[in-house]
Amino acid sequence: MIRLVRAELLKLRTTQVWFWLLLASLAVAVLAAVAGMASDDVRVPSDLATVFANANGGIAVSFILGILGITTEFRHQTFTPTVLATPNRWAIVSAKLLTYALVGAAYAVIGIVVQLAITVPWLASKDIALQLGGDVGHSMAGVVLVFTLFAVMGVGIGSLLRNQSLAISVGLIFLLVINNILAAIPGTRPAFPYTPEGAMIAVVYPAGQGGGDDIELLSRAGGIVTLLLWALVPAAIGAALTLNRDIT
Amino acid sequence: MVDDLTKLFGGKVRAVDRLSFTVEPGSVTGFLGPNGAGKTTTLRALLGLVHPTSGTATIGGVPYRQIAAPLTVVGAALESSAFHPARTARNHLRILCTVAGLPVARADAVLAHVGLTDSAKRKVKTYSLGMRQRLSLAAALLGDPHVLVLDEPANGLDPEGIRWLRGMLRSLAADGRTVLVSSHQLNEVEEIADRVVILNRGQLVTSGSIADLTAGTDRVMVRSPDIAALLAAVRPPATAEQDGPEALVVRGATAAEVGHWAFTAGVELHELRGERVDLEELFFSLTQGGAA
Repeated sequence: MIRLVRAELLKLRTTQVWFWLLLASLAVAVLAAVAGMASDDVRVPSDLATVFANANGGIAVSFILGILGITTEFRHQTFTPTVLATPNRWAIVSAKLLTYALVGAAYAVIGIVVQLAITVPWLASKDIALQLGGDVGHSMAGVVLVFTLFAVMGVGIGSLLRNQSLAISVGLIFLLVINNILAAIPGTRPAFPYTPEGAMIAVVYPAGQGGGDDIELLSRAGGIVTLLLWALVPAAIGAALTLNRDIT
Repeated sequence: MVDDLTKLFGGKVRAVDRLSFTVEPGSVTGFLGPNGAGKTTTLRALLGLVHPTSGTATIGGVPYRQIAAPLTVVGAALESSAFHPARTARNHLRILCTVAGLPVARADAVLAHVGLTDSAKRKVKTYSLGMRQRLSLAAALLGDPHVLVLDEPANGLDPEGIRWLRGMLRSLAADGRTVLVSSHQLNEVEEIADRVVILNRGQLVTSGSIADLTAGTDRVMVRSPDIAALLAAVRPPATAEQDGPEALVVRGATAAEVGHWAFTAGVELHELRGERVDLEELFFSLTQGGAA
């Protein structure tokens, strides 16, 4: 299994996609940090939680990373040599999920480090002390968790749809458009907390923040469970299909 | 070894139909048939990529997916050259080494073997079709396997590339490896294969050694301005059949015999040539009845 994860990381490293996507997720993190600090919203240390939580925009990048991670194999038929080298397809799919979970988490951690590099000196100039405990710490951990789970979700959606452009467009439309439409229409609003977007907000923001008015989000734990289901159910179905599918 | 293999696609299309054959260890076997005959499907079933509807395909008695370290037992180069275009050849092989638990040094060794060392660090998208075929072959050789399964390795090769491939396959066979090589160019394989398995419409047409299959098909082509006199000169049990206004095909006699008969009968000859049926002709003669 470690061998397969190493091979997956090597696959990722030997093309340039990881670099551009990392750049995109860092751009979101930097923007969140700079916008947060430049505004007057940060007055007490706990206000910082929102600044870090705003890096959640990068989940779309993490999601695309996961989709590309699996659909590229189908698109260029590189799945075939991998399967020939290890006929245990269950191990291949597990290694892929594990790898992209790790890489998603790494993107989040790198984003947080960059955000700290921007915010710490800035906070010092505002005479605000940085406290990593409490809500700030929760938001950081939340961002790492949602990056991880959205990458896994991407691999799952990718293994279900297989076609690269289809998976990316369907995935992003669901994530960025449909989820928000659900939140906007009063009749469907109760479903929003259970969407990936709604659950994600519950995980990264301090309680009571991040959602709009009239929306009762899940608790942090409820959000985590909901996201886990969103991530693991498609991945499990995709894996089960991949195990027995003909590779032609 | 393939036993009673059937594969239906979408429940209808019968790609492979109750096919059985065995490949002798240590030989080069040509797996022949026109496009769409079911060659690739059979090879993919053999490699555990396609699930047979019924029947089995095994290597040394073991299904591919149950071989513990498959690359060290079977090397495969499939027709759809599967490379990420933005990855270098060396990195492609390094990944496969990592997956299979082989030392990375094997990647450089096989690249040298197929003559790609100088292009190893170029992206595959800059490769010609011939170079991709070489890279496929390199990947097949990665685990130094005893069995090689090559699907249309000559596709896209120029005459020089085909010559290189022939030499390569000969040297691999000389090492004692078992090679199963598919092709839709029947005559391409004739020079390198010891044995052939011929397939048409998913069914076995014939299999065996080329020498056995073409034995007894010797014939003499003879050309003369005086066909009638030549026909009269042919002695039984040899039979002759006219082939155009000035040509005759004689079966059951050697070129020397036909020449002698013509000489004693005083018939003028313009051409005298001994021939043996090639695989392509053999294929057509065997499928003519069934294809209608």
